[in-house]
Amino acid sequence: MCISETNNRIENHLIGGEYAVGIKSQASRIMPELKRGERKGREKRKSLMARVDLADKVLEIASRRGTLYDYVNDVLEQAVRAESLGVTLKEVLDDRWVIEWARDAGFTVIPEKIVYDLTEDAYRKFGKRKMTDLWYETGQWYGKYYEDLGKFGGSVRRFFWDISEFKISGEDEHLTLTCLSSKFSEIYTELFGKFLEGALNALGYSIDEGEVSKGIISLRFVKSKGK
Amino acid sequence: MSKDASKEEKLIRAPGDLVSRLKEAANREGKTFYRYVTEIFEQAIRAYDMKHSLKEILDVYEILDIHKEAGAVFTPRDILEYSVERISQEDDGTLRRLWYQTGKWYGVYLKEKSEYPVDTFTRLLQDGRWDLNEVTVKRNEETVEFRCVSLLASQERTLLVRNFIEGAMHSLGYGTQEQECFRGIIRLRFIPIVFPQP
Repeated sequence: MCISETNNRIENHLIGGEYAVGIKSQASRIMPELKRGERKGREKRKSLMARVDLADKVLEIASRRGTLYDYVNDVLEQAVRAESLGVTLKEVLDDRWVIEWARDAGFTVIPEKIVYDLTEDAYRKFGKRKMTDLWYETGQWYGKYYEDLGKFGGSVRRFFWDISEFKISGEDEHLTLTCLSSKFSEIYTELFGKFLEGALNALGYSIDEGEVSKGIISLRFVKSKGK
Repeated sequence: MSKDASKEEKLIRAPGDLVSRLKEAANREGKTFYRYVTEIFEQAIRAYDMKHSLKEILDVYEILDIHKEAGAVFTPRDILEYSVERISQEDDGTLRRLWYQTGKWYGVYLKEKSEYPVDTFTRLLQDGRWDLNEVTVKRNEETVEFRCVSLLASQERTLLVRNFIEGAMHSLGYGTQEQECFRGIIRLRFIPIVFPQP
């Protein structure tokens, strides 16, 4: 029997809820020889109590990849890595497809300094009318693309990290949209407000009243007739 | 743990140092270790169902995190393209300087943030999706060569991305040895800058 088979046998035994001191010490003798360089000094092992359905599934996955011990080690290392980044694994997985989703929706990731400077420059060179129309029409496109207010709102929250608060609340025929960002310039706020207005317009809401000032967008919408 | 509950649980062996570290993390979050471990395994299984390992997913997340920390944002591509195209027609070089300077800033940031900044920068280009369909890097002791292909980028955008890459690499201690730029295709070769001994 090769070492890894021995290792699997020991761990399969352990996962069954049995805990024997003899096996523990045997495994401790065997495992260091299996470790990669990075695992030096980790000879001491501990047991984790895991929910039976999860443990069984983990064992099933591990059996396709190598030993259970190595798989659990990899998983826990990544959990520690996530923790050191200040996030949970759930948050990491939730964001797994953000770049792809954004790219599919026609967004591109770009240094904010470039975006803001470029926007200001374009506004000055091509004028307010041209740029507000461009942002409004782009917003309309996104409204039609997402087809759903919740999805659109979720994407804004997910993709626009420079927004500190984004909220859409409403009752009956009315909606209130609040968007705050300390990073937005006055011009960028105005254009982003137009983007949001365009999107909500495509989603069946017309602007009723609004207030836009540097970093603050507060818009009130009413459901469009016939929508 | 009750006897009944124990029937619903199993023991799994793990490296002691990782277990200790995660116990501390669970305490900090105010969760029981059992619940914390449950969440970890749930996500490991979720990753497996996504046909990825947790490591692969963390690798991508780190790139996203670098973008966030470095101050990058998502913006509608159409607006960006329009603004770039129009401004570049009457640009006196300001736009290209802006991309170069931003690249330099990224380089400085990566030097601080990463142990292997050139590798991280390469991953940023490959996984960060700067609208580049293909990014290949050839490295040897003397040179680093980038080849980037974008099916979407205009001539001007291509030049700007080239400036960005040059800015970053110059910050990382490399000088441009050779460069070629054609709409959607960039080829850049860098050599380390060696400062004369005092």
